[in-house]
Amino acid sequence: MALAPDRIDYSPIIERPKIKWPNNARVAFWVAPNIEHYEYLPAVDGVRNPWPRTPHPDVQNYSLHEYGNRVGVWRLMEVLDRHNIKCSTTLSVGVLEHFPQIAEAMLKRDWIFVNHGFYNTRYVTTYDEEQEREFLLACRENFKRLSGMEFKGQSGPAASNTDRTPDLLAETGFIYQTDWKFDDQPVPIKVRSGKLVCVPYTAELNDARLLRLSYESDYHADIVKAQFDQLYEEGAENGKTLCIAYHPLMTGRPHRIKHMDRVLDYIMSHDGVWQATTDEIAEYYMANCYDDAVAYAQSLNQ
Amino acid sequence: MPVDREHILPQLHYGMDHDHYDWNPLNESRAVLKWPNDARLAVCVIVNQEQMEWAQPEDGYRSPTLASGPGPYPDITAWSGREYGHRVGIFRLLDVLDKHGVKPTVAMDTLTAENYPWLVKHHVDRGDEIIGHGISLSRMITSRMSEQEERDYISYCLDSLNNITGSRPAGWLGPEFGESVRTPQLLGEAGVRYVCDWTNDDQPFPMKTPQGELYALPVNMPLDDVSALVDRCLGMDKYVQIIKDSFDVLYEEGAQNGRLLVLNLHPFLIGQAFRVKGLDEAIDYITHRDGVWVATGSEIIDWYRNNPPAA
Repeated sequence: MALAPDRIDYSPIIERPKIKWPNNARVAFWVAPNIEHYEYLPAVDGVRNPWPRTPHPDVQNYSLHEYGNRVGVWRLMEVLDRHNIKCSTTLSVGVLEHFPQIAEAMLKRDWIFVNHGFYNTRYVTTYDEEQEREFLLACRENFKRLSGMEFKGQSGPAASNTDRTPDLLAETGFIYQTDWKFDDQPVPIKVRSGKLVCVPYTAELNDARLLRLSYESDYHADIVKAQFDQLYEEGAENGKTLCIAYHPLMTGRPHRIKHMDRVLDYIMSHDGVWQATTDEIAEYYMANCYDDAVAYAQSLNQ
Repeated sequence: MPVDREHILPQLHYGMDHDHYDWNPLNESRAVLKWPNDARLAVCVIVNQEQMEWAQPEDGYRSPTLASGPGPYPDITAWSGREYGHRVGIFRLLDVLDKHGVKPTVAMDTLTAENYPWLVKHHVDRGDEIIGHGISLSRMITSRMSEQEERDYISYCLDSLNNITGSRPAGWLGPEFGESVRTPQLLGEAGVRYVCDWTNDDQPFPMKTPQGELYALPVNMPLDDVSALVDRCLGMDKYVQIIKDSFDVLYEEGAQNGRLLVLNLHPFLIGQAFRVKGLDEAIDYITHRDGVWVATGSEIIDWYRNNPPAA
């Protein structure tokens, strides 16, 4: 029996050092539009097949996903603008080169970007250490070339990781990843050298998962509101994080967009909400909370 | 298996990762599509007249996600569930469409065309538009086919429908949206004018083919009854609601730049007695507003060809 190999210390949320967000905010709230590209003929790795329904291409799935970039993303942007959301965009770097209108629209907004690989059909799962390092540096380099910005965090492409990913992220200049969905606060991740935190992403409040099941966006909006209400209450004592994940191919559909509008309106109408980016959350946590969190966890686990 | 360098470092470039059409986002930069009489929204209903084969043919490819099976041979539940559409469901569906003045676009596979002469005649006598829909649900088009096999498959279907119905189909919807990398090219070569396999837009758009002139007529996938009612198990009330909500937004957007709503329906599902009231409510909602153009696939594509969007 084994747990995740020495990446985290157990740290119960009711006893660990409390988090105080800037301006005593109760909830650090981040919004993650997933701006992705899925390939017509995916480069397969022998481990995971993005379109197992049919020999490739799977035009039904390809075009269903492409709807997000052709149509859905513009509806999302309109709603995000209405609520002045600074997004933490989970970005397939390839989108910036393939679809420059999307790049231009995102870059002129006050958004930040989280590395999500080149395409969402290329997983890092089978990469050896040298390949993964090369991959991370190439993502960084291409993102900088196409945006003028630097990545600070990563969300593995289609949530793929290797055992080495945290070490290599810290080594190649990242300060956080989002893949560990195990907490309502950031969590230090142990790495070979340097420092890394996780700013937890969401599987539960993720439209891509929910809307493949027997739910629609009214339910998504309802559970996000319920999640927010609970965290907002708890956050008076100990600051919490809330993430909502949106995919243009899912929520960017005509019948769904009003529910996104409704829930953002609800959350943003509250005082005590820090609508932050994951870059800001990670940097704040590193500067103000990381050392206490590590010291507490170490004392508990001695 | 170890991945190669190209997997790790793909060649990034402008636009699509295939040659079937150009990248063209649907935002304010897209040329304005005007429908007849300045309609905001074109509504098209596709009716799938299809059947699975009694025994899965060895040389056919069947989607592992095919709605309601089939399971081990003989799967009477799956087969007879589909058959319900041909015997019963279609007539309830047509009654609702007739009530609201909707002329359906019927995607008919050759298994149906060749074995249900009464049904084919019924559609022909009504003047419904019939489009190609492959051979059967048990034989999807995939990249496993050679170019010649696929060419033969497509021409067999078009010839068969031509012989049986008296007219050559202008449109095509692959069984289970199946395509190879060559399908648009081969459809263009065969003289097909529009294809419904691509679900990526809220307008028609031109495809690029070496021969012929092919357009995409995109199906609204979340509103496909199989997707909503079988794959995602939405209840009928929720299904009706999302059709109405889709209509509201497309109708509003269509004031600036015409929009398209293609509803893809299956008689075996939507023609169940308990669903007909909901279907009636949904079709009523999306067909009677001023500025809605209810049309068949070829009427929409003919208009689009003759009145291409202008900047």
